[in-house]
Amino acid sequence: MAQLRQDFAEFEKRKTTLLVIGPENAAAFLKYWQENSLPFIGLSDPEHVVLKLYGQQINLFKFGRMPAQVLVDIKGIARFVHYGHDMTDIPKNSEMLALIDSLSAG
Amino acid sequence: MSHVAFNAPAPDFSLVDFTGKTVSLSDFRGKTDVLLIFNRGFM
Repeated sequence: MAQLRQDFAEFEKRKTTLLVIGPENAAAFLKYWQENSLPFIGLSDPEHVVLKLYGQQINLFKFGRMPAQVLVDIKGIARFVHYGHDMTDIPKNSEMLALIDSLSAG
Repeated sequence: MSHVAFNAPAPDFSLVDFTGKTVSLSDFRGKTDVLLIFNRGFM
């Protein structure tokens, strides 16, 4: 999350909105966002509606949800879909920025 | 559990952010790309 905050301007420069979705409740989101001064949108999904819609995986052995990222282009098409296999399996921001650049170029 | 298909329309959804504002994926169509980040949990 800290890395996302650090690179927020780069995403903004590329006209890319960041939506962070998680299972915590709204109060937990508010507290975390305020404590960390996060500039992007945080969406609470305690009923797991969107998390299920998008198929975010749960690893019962590791006691948590696996990270996932989906890049949706300006037309609403999923242009990159990544489901993490473990807690650390998250694409680097630099990779996402390069992908956004390649989409806008092509 | 379904997965989102590459190069297919991303399913639309609406959620309320912690300020009480409803945010839908379709709000951004025709305006910006959107990077959806499904958090592993920050608590």
